[in-house]
Amino acid sequence: MTQITSSSEQITSGEIRAHLRERSAATLRRRIFVSKVMTVFCWAAIVLAAIPLVALLLRLFVKGIPVLLKSGFFTQLPQQPTLFDQTNTGGVSNAIIGTIAMIVYATLASVPIGIIVGIYTAESDSKFASVIRVIASTMVGAPSILMGLFAFGVIVVQLKLGFSILAGSFALSVLMLPVLISSTEIAVRNVPTTLREAGLALGAKPSTTSLRIVLPAATTGIVTGAILAISRAVGETAPILLVIGGAYAITWKPNDPGSALSVSMYQDVSSSYDSLRDQAWGIGLLLVLVIFVLSFAARIWAARKQKVQR
Amino acid sequence: MVVAANSSQTAAGAEGRRPSASARGAYEWTLLVVASLFGIVSVWFVGTIIWQSVSTFQSQGLYLLTGVNWVPGAGTGQPSQYGGRAMIIGTIETSLIAMVIAVVIGTGTALAINFFVPQKMKTFVATVVELLAAVPSVVYGVWGMLVLAPWFLNTIGPFLSSLPGGTAVLGTTVAGKSLLLAGIVLAIMVLPTYVAISREVIGAVPHELVEASLSLGATRWQTLWRTVIPTARIGLFGATSLSLGRAIGETVAVSLVCGGSVGTTFKPLEPGVTIAGWIATQWGEAVGSDQIGALFALGAILMVVSLAMSMFSRRLVAQQRRAAAVV
Repeated sequence: MTQITSSSEQITSGEIRAHLRERSAATLRRRIFVSKVMTVFCWAAIVLAAIPLVALLLRLFVKGIPVLLKSGFFTQLPQQPTLFDQTNTGGVSNAIIGTIAMIVYATLASVPIGIIVGIYTAESDSKFASVIRVIASTMVGAPSILMGLFAFGVIVVQLKLGFSILAGSFALSVLMLPVLISSTEIAVRNVPTTLREAGLALGAKPSTTSLRIVLPAATTGIVTGAILAISRAVGETAPILLVIGGAYAITWKPNDPGSALSVSMYQDVSSSYDSLRDQAWGIGLLLVLVIFVLSFAARIWAARKQKVQR
Repeated sequence: MVVAANSSQTAAGAEGRRPSASARGAYEWTLLVVASLFGIVSVWFVGTIIWQSVSTFQSQGLYLLTGVNWVPGAGTGQPSQYGGRAMIIGTIETSLIAMVIAVVIGTGTALAINFFVPQKMKTFVATVVELLAAVPSVVYGVWGMLVLAPWFLNTIGPFLSSLPGGTAVLGTTVAGKSLLLAGIVLAIMVLPTYVAISREVIGAVPHELVEASLSLGATRWQTLWRTVIPTARIGLFGATSLSLGRAIGETVAVSLVCGGSVGTTFKPLEPGVTIAGWIATQWGEAVGSDQIGALFALGAILMVVSLAMSMFSRRLVAQQRRAAAVV
């Protein structure tokens, strides 16, 4: 009885083993095949992702460089081309000044507030601080056009100050605030706790410790965050499009209607003149160059600072 | 960008905090007052947008969500009709197209950058991706309009329509500008953002896990699919919801390539509109009329959706983190 079963078991288990070996070989072949296919897919994905982005940058440079080199692009006021003088587009000096003015005002308003709120959320563990933290991180993801609606509602409707550079900078500063708060909070939190404890142990007041020890240590992160927030605001179009008013004159005054590079680009591209549409590439290139320079500067500066600290 | 990626980490990492001081000096008061100021601004922000749109919500009611006509009544003696169906469906459609493309290609790219690209090139690729994420959306829009739209009109559109059932499902393109093109431009636009974040979270997967999986005989893909992606899923979800938020709220890039007509069929190759794009294109003629209120109402819908999404994703991420901590 036992013998019979064991012998029959031996036969079947041998068969099973052969069968399993065959099957596992088949599975292995399939697994390797799938793996190869998916590896190819990953490579294809990186190529597919790169093609449009490279094509975009190439086109931007090829079409944009001649515009930037055109005489008067930086210094002249915009001209409306006519049927007889189709290439007469003038320059974008008003938009350059408008963008600089708005960025300066928005930075002056939002950077101090953003940094202070960021320090607060990093240092306080009260309920209110966590509410502020949630609000800031929610606002980081809010659609930027809502800041334009807000600026319209406040500056144009409630305060009756009209479409103006001020309204544009208001929109931009509301846009930058949550970004600044988050980056400052991260920078302050990244300061080792031991530093703070050392300050407190020496008998310094908590406020002195924060201002004299923690903040200097967090400066790199805070400044990098501020530069990135500014570079985000430089290219922002939707919110200022709604409230800036549009003007063909150079003005720094906050209560004048103004122009901005991103808005001019948006308006130029909708024109029926080829020359204006070409000019849009030039403005785009200028924006991209400014933003790249800003973020590179932030990176290099942060890297150098870190090296010094070590 | 980088900020957003990091902020999710701070939420998790319970860092040592100093013992809270009992006495508040000038320093503490300054912090508290300025923080309250920011709180007030945020309440003011939500309040202003709601307040400006109340009259439209009252006059249009549900028609704002389901109606098909967008007819300002000023000067005609007729009551205004503001139906937002085309904008709402257009927004959903373009964002969906964008997210499907961006998540599939973006995840593949992030995996490739982490596991296939040579170590020396990695930093370079990562820097390029982060720089691309900083390119303003209006540039993507201009490129889509001047380069992609003609190509769509002459090559891609006719090809897609000629597929069996192509015209019935996808429609025919008239000017190249269409919901599909808008979705594709959005996908290209959010790709750098998605890749930058997902590259980081995939790179944070412990190397021991990968090695353990490989040593058990799993193939490279099995390791990626069954070990790496599940481990990184919380971060990948965060990247997805951030990209989705950008896609839903994107204004200028979409308004340049979506065609801008209030349609009723929503076929991908036909022109359409999105909420944010519609606000920007109608704004000029709306100022000073009751249409402003209607655009604010659309903005309020956008705000509620983006608020809800960010709350939902925050809750889900927190939940997942807790679950991961228990295991």
